[in-house]
Amino acid sequence: MRRFRDTDEVDYCIVGVGSAGGVLLQRLSRAGFQVVGIEAGPFWDTERDWVSDEKGSHQLYWTDLRITGGEHPLSLGENNSGKGVGGGSVHWAAFAPRFHPSDFRVYTEDGVGADWPISYDDLKPYYELLEREIPIAGPAYFPWGDPHGYPYGPHPMGGVGNSLIRGCTKLGIRVSAGGPVAILSGSRGDRPHCIYRGFCIQGCKVGAKASTLITHVPNALESGGEVRDCSMASRIELGPDRRVKGVHYFDREGREHFQKAKAVIVSGYAIETPRLLLNSACPGFSAGLANSSGTLGRYLMAQAGNVILGRFDHLVRLYKAPPAHAMTEEFYETDPKRGFARGFAIQTVGPLPIAFAKQMMVAKGAWGWGMRRVMMDYNHWSSIAVLGEILPWADNRVELASETDQFGIPVAKVTFNLHDNDKKLIEFGKNKVMEVMWAAGAEDVVQEDRYAHLVGASRMGSDPETSVVDRFGRTHDIANLFVCDGSVLPTQGSANPGLTIQALAARTADYLISQGDRIFNSNSRDMTQPPIRYNLSPPGTFWKGMPRMT
Amino acid sequence: MNGASTGRKSLPIDPNTHEPLPPVRQPGYYPGYSTLAQQTFWDAKTRSVILHRVNHTPPIRFFDSEQAALMKAVCDRIIPQDDRDPAYRIPIVNYIDERLHEDKIDGFRYENMPADRDVYRLGLQAIDMLAQDRGGLRFVNLDARRQDEVLKSIHDGNAPAAQEIWNHMSIQRFWKGLVSDCASAYYSHPWAWDEIGFGGPAYPRGYMRLEGGEPEPWEVDEVRYEWQTPPDSLSDVYEPAGGDSEQKGHPGQGGTH
Ligand SMILES: Cc1cc2nc3c(=O)[nH]c(=O)nc-3n(C[C@H](O)[C@H](O)[C@H](O)COP(=O)(O)OP(=O)(O)OC[C@H]3O[C@@H](n4cnc5c(N)ncnc54)[C@H](O)[C@@H]3O)c2cc1C
Ligand code: SF4
Repeated sequence: MRRFRDTDEVDYCIVGVGSAGGVLLQRLSRAGFQVVGIEAGPFWDTERDWVSDEKGSHQLYWTDLRITGGEHPLSLGENNSGKGVGGGSVHWAAFAPRFHPSDFRVYTEDGVGADWPISYDDLKPYYELLEREIPIAGPAYFPWGDPHGYPYGPHPMGGVGNSLIRGCTKLGIRVSAGGPVAILSGSRGDRPHCIYRGFCIQGCKVGAKASTLITHVPNALESGGEVRDCSMASRIELGPDRRVKGVHYFDREGREHFQKAKAVIVSGYAIETPRLLLNSACPGFSAGLANSSGTLGRYLMAQAGNVILGRFDHLVRLYKAPPAHAMTEEFYETDPKRGFARGFAIQTVGPLPIAFAKQMMVAKGAWGWGMRRVMMDYNHWSSIAVLGEILPWADNRVELASETDQFGIPVAKVTFNLHDNDKKLIEFGKNKVMEVMWAAGAEDVVQEDRYAHLVGASRMGSDPETSVVDRFGRTHDIANLFVCDGSVLPTQGSANPGLTIQALAARTADYLISQGDRIFNSNSRDMTQPPIRYNLSPPGTFWKGMPRMT
Repeated sequence: MNGASTGRKSLPIDPNTHEPLPPVRQPGYYPGYSTLAQQTFWDAKTRSVILHRVNHTPPIRFFDSEQAALMKAVCDRIIPQDDRDPAYRIPIVNYIDERLHEDKIDGFRYENMPADRDVYRLGLQAIDMLAQDRGGLRFVNLDARRQDEVLKSIHDGNAPAAQEIWNHMSIQRFWKGLVSDCASAYYSHPWAWDEIGFGGPAYPRGYMRLEGGEPEPWEVDEVRYEWQTPPDSLSDVYEPAGGDSEQKGHPGQGGTH
């Protein structure tokens, strides 16, 4: 791997090599830019570092301190963020649905939330591209949103998918079986197919599940990009000309460095991105860098992720097969009859024993002999989850806490409150999934409140007064400072965000490439949509090896 | 001394004979099933991590000896193991101690909770205060029934005798943190996997039989038996943890989808 020196002024310094950061690093390096990715966690050697074990996989998550509060405080850590090259794509379950066209104009259609500054059609070619690049396995025909099919064939059903499909079919609800999921159903290149071991959330040691660590970072390095791992960015430096000069960071020994760069892209995800920008406050930006709007850190979203657990008389053995393998988006869109805006999806999940015990603690109040007894029935339970759209609210936000981390950097404080629409949606969604579970033949059905995914807190918009970045991810305030990750999403739909985050990254990369050196030496803002570049996919991925569809 | 830790009482009962079921090496419905017996099929790194877990119980370093004894008595009720042959009981306190000694957290702290180390220090004080209130004894000296009463009062969110501690931290969050930590230690052990019929590490071999709960050739069929909870126990009823609703909100913590 090429190593730049701190004193080299690279073209782009990307903070965070996760879902978005990995794609950006690959695209920009391949296009010939000098790019370094500063990543707080390690560069994984999957065979040496990862284990096929629930407890032993704790290191994949962002477990450094954060403070959580509000009326409905979010669990953080393993519930939502990764640390290490690949970021959240290392431990995601890899459900990879697109957003629906309606997601991009929620305010116009429903009078709530926000509109995106781009439309579904702007992103569609990137969905199509990434679905082939990653690639995604799923049904040949996916009927919701903008109907489409998937390049790799669907996966066989596990016990959980079986109950989802059985329950939904009884109730006349259409389902998608065997995907869409970023897991190989047939081998491709040097990546083997899935072996159905069920440890996706613990990191796929097999290499069947996509993470940018294996899909994009290798080609980034081949193309001359650098990943500087175990390096924690602490502050972005602003020059007197209101352009950023580079990134301060701590290396693995805790030594401080400054990486000079012509432009900086922050890809640290919905908590660490606002934290870094808030910690980069400086004269002229006393409330946080690029925060003239006061919206930095605000409009943080999590999706409702209630897990509904049903006990069956027969054995299910929910630990087999990828947790993500069947779903329905039948309730995704607003239905005025339901009395709330927007909707939810229903998806399979596959808790391993520790996660399942914690669910039983919450859902059934299990402890003592009751815990031992219900756990002895682990193999009789199935688990299906709500994935519900919670709207963006200004009071759901990331701020700085008084506590600091091991480097002395103030940590994030996250405040989260459910609002009326959210509560109604959750109530309806969880009852619907319980109905599905009963219809599937369960004899006992319980549920756990929970939240999944984080997005927002550095949202994109056309109006600099009410958003942090423009539709290409450029901060409204600073011409050579970008944000590109889950934090730019104005709303979140009820699709898992990973594919959309990567599609946005590929689109931002096309914009940066089309702008060339102008990003580095001009403050002018060209808002022309860039042409999509098909020749920047990692070799052997674009339109290659496709069993179906062209 | 305390019945729970010696295994004198508090054994599950055979409903047919009404006799206590003698402790066994492997409770559960999968007789003869052993994940460890499959270790040749595991990758080297996983094997070393799991065997280390089984063969090297970490020493107690965070708790002092009195706290450790109290923790042992508490964990013996939160995940009781009286039905297990003493040589096959799974260490729990040592893993909680290890986590606190290394100050490993889950990545967050509720704004109205102290740091995890203080949560345990305070929580143990509260447990002894409740024990004194209920039986005039330290928790370790209460019988199993009284111990369960103390713990159930925390589970129910109704333990006013330790109110001065709950003023500093939420009773529900303390309870859920404690039960989570105990369950995480127990269900990360291969003997617990054998008990519940979980497949354990599965790389590089994987699975072939995904549907219908059918066992792989190396897994075994379920053989159920009836057992009643020990008569001196209060923990075999399923009631959501109680308390005032504002503090109840405790979203799930493990990752899902
Ligand atoms: C258990 C679980 C299951 C999930 N399942 C799904 C799923 O099925 N489908 C789906 O679409 N999504 C899923 N997600 C969500 C998905 O993982 C995230 O939405 C996605 O990875 C976010 O991408 P990102 O690029 O915004 O950030 P990330 O992928 O989180 O990348 C951010 C990176 O930045 C690094 N970083 C942050 N701050 C700094 C700093 N100051 N200095 C240096 N580096 C820094 C981090 O270490 C991290 O590697 C799941 C998440 C979890 C926790
Ligand atoms: S189930 Fe498939 S994708 Fe998931 S970890 Fe196992 S091999 Fe990887």
